[in-house]
Amino acid sequence: MFDEEVYRKLFVEESRENHEAIVNNLLALESGEDQQTAIDEIFRSAHTLKGMSASMGFDAMENLCHSMEDIFSLIRSGRREVTASLTDLLLTCTDTIEGMLDSIEAGGVPSDEESASLVQELRAFTEEEVLPDEQEPSGVVVPAEAAGEADGRPLYTLSVAVDPSCTMKDIRAMLLLQNLEDIGTIISTTPSRDLIEDGRFDGSFEILIESEAGEDALRTVASGTEISLLGISSPASPPVAETARKPEPAPKQETETPHVPRAAKSEKSREIKNIRVDIERLDRMMNLVEDLVINRGRLEQIAKKHGIKEFDEALSMVGRSVSDLQNLMMGIRMMPLERIFNRLPRVVRDVANHDGKEVELVIEGGETELDRSMMDGLSDPLLHIIRNAVNHGIETPEIREANGKPRKGLLRLTARRDKDNVVIEIEDDGAGIDPGRLREKAVSRGAMTPEAAAAATRDDLINLLFEPGFSTAEAITDISGRGVGLDVVKKTITSLKGTIKIESELGRGTKFELVLPPTMAIIDVMMVHINGGRCAIPISNVVEVAQIRTDAIHRIGNSEAILLRDQILPMHRLEDMFGRAQRSDTLVVLQNSGKRCCIVVDTVDGQQEVVVKPLSRLAGNCRGISGITIPGDGDVVPVLDVNTMI
Amino acid sequence: MGRILIVDDTMFMRTLLKNILFSGGHDIVGEAADGAEAVARYQELRPDLVTMDVVMPKVNGIEALKAIKAADPAAKVIMCTAVGQEQMVKLAVKSGARGYIVKPFQAPKVLEEVKNVLSA
Repeated sequence: MFDEEVYRKLFVEESRENHEAIVNNLLALESGEDQQTAIDEIFRSAHTLKGMSASMGFDAMENLCHSMEDIFSLIRSGRREVTASLTDLLLTCTDTIEGMLDSIEAGGVPSDEESASLVQELRAFTEEEVLPDEQEPSGVVVPAEAAGEADGRPLYTLSVAVDPSCTMKDIRAMLLLQNLEDIGTIISTTPSRDLIEDGRFDGSFEILIESEAGEDALRTVASGTEISLLGISSPASPPVAETARKPEPAPKQETETPHVPRAAKSEKSREIKNIRVDIERLDRMMNLVEDLVINRGRLEQIAKKHGIKEFDEALSMVGRSVSDLQNLMMGIRMMPLERIFNRLPRVVRDVANHDGKEVELVIEGGETELDRSMMDGLSDPLLHIIRNAVNHGIETPEIREANGKPRKGLLRLTARRDKDNVVIEIEDDGAGIDPGRLREKAVSRGAMTPEAAAAATRDDLINLLFEPGFSTAEAITDISGRGVGLDVVKKTITSLKGTIKIESELGRGTKFELVLPPTMAIIDVMMVHINGGRCAIPISNVVEVAQIRTDAIHRIGNSEAILLRDQILPMHRLEDMFGRAQRSDTLVVLQNSGKRCCIVVDTVDGQQEVVVKPLSRLAGNCRGISGITIPGDGDVVPVLDVNTMI
Repeated sequence: MGRILIVDDTMFMRTLLKNILFSGGHDIVGEAADGAEAVARYQELRPDLVTMDVVMPKVNGIEALKAIKAADPAAKVIMCTAVGQEQMVKLAVKSGARGYIVKPFQAPKVLEEVKNVLSA
């Protein structure tokens, strides 16, 4: 009936959102935040998951979600309390659901292997003695209809049956009675209306109704969905005052002013504004935009040669459209960091529980946006740093108290936009990194000679943490010591064209600072000429351009350095890349992670926005070059990887 | 064949329902992802029928139903429900819902109910 694949994708995506909502609200519930909202949200998400999985025929998932929904239905009505053990059980359920979603995404159908026992456990919770029921919304009493005055309208007896396959027979019956009331007055039913509307009938019942609408109208109404009319009696005269009847109360709907939600009034007709687009398609579009940018550049070069006025005008219009299109595409690819931050509260909770620590995680700036191609890469490093902070940074409550700190450690994760970059900080108020211990370890591992270690600054020592295989953890724990060290974190961040920095103070805490470009594909570069060749330098790495004074150049061993305004900077000539520069009188000062160096160039061509394409694997590993770009003239120009030079 | 407004907070369910209703020859004139949106869209589109999910964020299906009925007592609203929600649906019926369909949806049943409510 429907295209399975499309539904599966949509299903997985929306299910993940709901799954995440459950996890986060469970954590919110545990931290004692707005309880009612969290409970409502979990109920709603579990309910949504149940409905969707039922529609896809994933029974195991449906059952599990159904059981969760049941529990929250009880909690919502105040008949069950949220205990720590219940939260744990529910979190285990969410893990199972996540596993199921993974297998569904991979094209499988989840089995109830794991979930069956969870469903049992949830049932046990549901069936525990129930707290006293809160006031049921008692009696929207629909009056037993009366027509005591017997004005002589014809009376009919209808005999009807509800289909055996019908779900919610009681409601089907109720709808029928309600519809009949539109065209007549129900005198009585057998069994009684209350019993019918409670579902306590064996599938068929009789209705005595007074109506002037005629037999045909009654027949139509009484043969509705899932209802069969078994028989209809011919009109008879109404019984006169057969039973004493109470005066007819006004129907409920009319006495109660219908509650119009406020949002409905203030919000003008809002269209569905979001659509989902496959990431691959976005990537393809982005590639096309990049090609457009490149070819626009070529056209501009050609136009310059010929100087045709109309052509220039048309081209400038096209150019503007391409720029707008490019900006739009960049915007579309941006996603709020929340997407990956949302997973972290759970991680912190688990690690803290495992280690017997108390940690408060504060997240700020989750709305900061980053290109989605970077999002995936960022997730693991972030997870690692967060785990590390709880695992090694924050002390146990006892130690913290002994040191005059609050029992609960504070872990702060902030993101913000800083000029052209996105800055993410992970800061804890834990034990900090001990430079003394790093020094010892550096020597014992042979990473430094004793002399070098003694002379090393705190920053030098801390940077050792980014060296492969260098970790201060005494023992490998099963949480952060998974063979992935900070060296891998640094490598990943570097591959995203970002930088990572650690600041730490013994006893006060540690701060990781990640600085990332918001997008990788299109960057501003400075174009320079070296010995006839061209080279692009990311503008974020350029500090300044200066004239070289030859008397300021000093030789230190095999390398050169230059004295620039009281600062000695290592100087590179990039000879192996381009050959010796001819004029060699211009200096470009570069920086990366707070360190500086400079290169010698012939001329500076100016600043330009370019698309950086990665090097093909065929080119092998080209140290010093992060990719290539094709400016307007169709030339292939390397983009300098400043990171490897410093 | 009617002009129908679909209300559900998941695109998954809306798509499912849309395809079923479309196969029955109906015209989907709009969609809404929560109750507040449903009320606004109803006012704007005046569809022949609304399929209304019960559990939704912000303004739920029952409240939206009441608001729609207050604005247009003749409005035809069908509740989209699931086993376990009987009490809510009863409340909906008492508030003026004209029918219900049960998740997981079965196309023939959905189309039958829509047809019956439209022709009533």
